[in-house]
Amino acid sequence: MTDQEIIDLINLTLVEEFELNMADMKPEALIFDDLELDSLDIVDMVVVLESAFQFKIREEASIREIRSLRDIHEFVINKKNQLAGS
Amino acid sequence: METPEPNRADRLPGFGLTLLMNLTVIPLLLSWMGLGIILFPALFMALKLATTWHREKITRQLIWIYARISLVMMIPFVQFKAEGLKKNELKPTCILVANHLSFFDLYSLALLPFGDISVMVRDWPFKMFWYAPFMHLAGYVNVENVPWHSISEAVARILSKGGTILIFPEGHRSRSGQLQRFYSGAFRLAVETGAKIVPLCIAGTDQLWPPGRLWLKPARVRVRALKPVDPAEFTGTSAYRAIKKVVKTSMADNLREMTDQDRKARTARQANVV
Repeated sequence: MTDQEIIDLINLTLVEEFELNMADMKPEALIFDDLELDSLDIVDMVVVLESAFQFKIREEASIREIRSLRDIHEFVINKKNQLAGS
Repeated sequence: METPEPNRADRLPGFGLTLLMNLTVIPLLLSWMGLGIILFPALFMALKLATTWHREKITRQLIWIYARISLVMMIPFVQFKAEGLKKNELKPTCILVANHLSFFDLYSLALLPFGDISVMVRDWPFKMFWYAPFMHLAGYVNVENVPWHSISEAVARILSKGGTILIFPEGHRSRSGQLQRFYSGAFRLAVETGAKIVPLCIAGTDQLWPPGRLWLKPARVRVRALKPVDPAEFTGTSAYRAIKKVVKTSMADNLREMTDQDRKARTARQANVV
């Protein structure tokens, strides 16, 4: 899976899960301010990303550092690369 | 043609009734809350000795009784109507999902035919020191800032002991009266546990006590249970999303109907006054 395919899948997954507009899914969009998600949504976000990418991320401390859509993209891409390397 | 201004006599009954309601009901409810807190330990021990119920069930049953008595205190000013909530119509050990218009929504759920209900709650209500001990004793589930598996395990435990789960899938009260986006938790839990979802439509509590207003107003509160949705009828990894869509559509249709009926009834009453 290329990085762009990963980004597209992340955006599609989040649009479907949170009833967002694809037009708003810009990398610089802040998840709390621009996408209007909140702490309850982070629980759902972790679950849907785990399901979409078939990996476990719920115990990872770096999830709490996520602030923008770009942060989510980079987190998932790094995780995929990590798993591919091991 | 100019619409004549309603004269003072027309306005007085509404204003007078609202004033009377707030001068009587609010002190009564606050006193009842104080008395309930004082009586709780003795009633808890009495039920502990008289039944085999576990502590969460005892607390939930007492909360239910407390809420029912609160409703009785409001009867002179609030008309309550339950639809589809009789014992033979609504079975426990399900996941109730209700729209959320007012803080009062929790009280109106005393119209349900059983009291062993655990509520899924955000973090902030646990900070209300007068309610928090009871919420903890009742086994209410804090869904914020906790891992999913903790929520899932707690819910499975409650259902296995015969309890019912109540969730407000909008997550917070609607300020517009319209249904907001639904969080997925309730529907994911239904798929994981196999418990049926029972949608509950609540109307009128936003007239009684909407967010941002400090005083109560006379109102007509209706709670309608819709046909249960069985998660076994949905398949695939996104089954919970399909269930969410079905439930939300059904609730939106029914709430629209209930709101239209109430608006027409209010218009008819006002026409009779004039």
